[in-house]
Amino acid sequence: MKIKQIKKYLLYAVAIIVAIIFIYPLYILFLVSFSPTTTTLDKLFPSQLPVKLTLANFISALTQYHFVAPLFKSLEVAFMVGAITLAIAIPAAYGLSKLNKRLGNLIMVFLFIANLVPALIIAIPISVEFIKAGLFDSPVALALAQSLFTLPLATFILLGSFRAIPKDLESQARVDGMGLFRTIYTMLVPLAKAGVAAAFLLSWLTSWDEFTFAVILSPLKPTLPVIVYINITEGSLIQAAAFAAVVSIPVIILTVVLQKYIRGIYLTGGITG
Amino acid sequence: MKNNKVKLELKGITKKFGKKAVIDNLDLKIYEGELFAILGPSGTGKSTLLKIIVGIEEPDSGKIFLDGKDITELPPNKRNIAMVFQSFALYPNMDVYRNIAFPLKIAGLKKEEIEKKVNSAAKLLGISEILPSAVSKISGGQKQRVALARALVREPSMFLLDEPFSNLDARVRFTAREELKRLREQLHSTFVYVTHDQRETSNITSRVGVLNNGKFQQIDSFENLYNFPKNRWVGDFIGNFPMSFIKKSDSISWGFRPEWALAGRGTLTAKLVTNELVGDINYWMCEIKDGSMVVLRGDKPKEVGSTINFKLNKYNIYKDNNFVKQVA
Ligand SMILES: Nc1ncnc2c1ncn2[C@@H]1O[C@H](COP(=O)(O)OP(=O)(O)O)[C@@H](O)[C@H]1O
Ligand SMILES: [Mg+2]
Repeated sequence: MKIKQIKKYLLYAVAIIVAIIFIYPLYILFLVSFSPTTTTLDKLFPSQLPVKLTLANFISALTQYHFVAPLFKSLEVAFMVGAITLAIAIPAAYGLSKLNKRLGNLIMVFLFIANLVPALIIAIPISVEFIKAGLFDSPVALALAQSLFTLPLATFILLGSFRAIPKDLESQARVDGMGLFRTIYTMLVPLAKAGVAAAFLLSWLTSWDEFTFAVILSPLKPTLPVIVYINITEGSLIQAAAFAAVVSIPVIILTVVLQKYIRGIYLTGGITG
Repeated sequence: MKNNKVKLELKGITKKFGKKAVIDNLDLKIYEGELFAILGPSGTGKSTLLKIIVGIEEPDSGKIFLDGKDITELPPNKRNIAMVFQSFALYPNMDVYRNIAFPLKIAGLKKEEIEKKVNSAAKLLGISEILPSAVSKISGGQKQRVALARALVREPSMFLLDEPFSNLDARVRFTAREELKRLREQLHSTFVYVTHDQRETSNITSRVGVLNNGKFQQIDSFENLYNFPKNRWVGDFIGNFPMSFIKKSDSISWGFRPEWALAGRGTLTAKLVTNELVGDINYWMCEIKDGSMVVLRGDKPKEVGSTINFKLNKYNIYKDNNFVKQVA
């Protein structure tokens, strides 16, 4: 009884420490964005707690730079990447889950090879093709290119989720009158919802802070990470921090929305009743 | 049964996994209204055979006819054959009511009609009270009833049940068997079920098909399987004890059941190896001269190693392991 309780407290302690490690940079980011420079960047040893709060950094960042267009572009591309990735990864993972396990895993490894090639090497020839196709600077083009990198991981996660669904359930749905596609999309996908949510979130996040493809394929109508980068190189660190805070807000919202489906079980592919 | 209409016919079905033919050029006729059992040891392809009939597995060759119509190429959702899986395969994301309603919903029935059918199926199986329950909250016996209810709401052409009793504990198993029999009589429908346990066939089925090595070794009533096993393998597989064989020549042997032999008298001799009590009957497991085992019925346990005389009141003659005739 006692040991159990000690274990529980230890677990909480570890969880809190880990959480602090992950949240601290985010905290500093928000602190810098919402504080006047006199209390942060200008100080040699700035305070870790907010001394004075201000919206000035935001206002100057948002008025000085064209921020709204990149924000919407980033959102558009990220949701497109999530959608494209699921549209392709769901049938792919279903197909792989039907193969014998070894062959399925082998093919999965080959799919990951695309991720080993540096983005730059792929981005340049792709952008040439997109220019020819009149797709340069378009959100679809960027989303397609980024999906190249999100697809393997999403397929891998979904493969685990599909494999974890008892085979009899799928057979039963077929016997009960469902066609193959209906079975996949109305029976298996809901049963694999943890994996689907995780795959979507990871794809969305990958797109959200993706830089290489974005800067090469979409330089004239840039996405948020590109704008943030430009600000940093222009030396306006404080406004870049404000931007970075803006960048992280949609991430936090989406993660909070989707986390109830995920609950950390997607890696084992467990299905929730 | 034989005068009845053929409900399902399999012709030359072969199914291979890798190089091994799990089902090997198999033929089968199931008659309308039958309660047919497929019996065989684990791993002989019983489940595979059901899956081929229902359309989840594709045979490598052969044809399947339902009511005389070739259904070999039809997907499972077009076959109108219901199947209850060994795991019962209840949808975990639906409650009991929605599980049973599922096939009707897929078929596009109206809400009121679905409700009527689900309620009457639930009543038939005695599960009306648990309709709103989550499937994770009900017992094994209830799960089976839900799976059966889901199978029968859509009034399928026939039913396939994979090891319907194996996931139930011993107490419910007996009533479940009787219930299956009652259900078939009430619905006048055709049932095929699979089991590896012969005790689950003996008193409820019309015919039993003994499956081994990808083929039916024999299809017959349980009594006939016991008394007239077509070959040595069936003789060994059916019964509490394997059939006893005495070799008469290179190709001929005599096979007999314990109760066909009379111990204590006669010119045949055997040496007692162990005593075994089944129910209140004592059996002597003995070794005969050629080293093979025979099982005799004896009134009480005897000392191991003692010699027992016996004679046969009845025996089957086997030539090259195949049944020739019975001598009584
Ligand atoms: N999808 C499959 N892939 C490969 N082998 C299989 C598959 N399904 C069944 N088998 C093999 O076929 C044999 C028969 O299986 P099964 O039909 O489940 O037997 P039973 O139901 O009689 O116990 C087993 O050896 C099993 O390993
Ligand atoms: Mg089986």
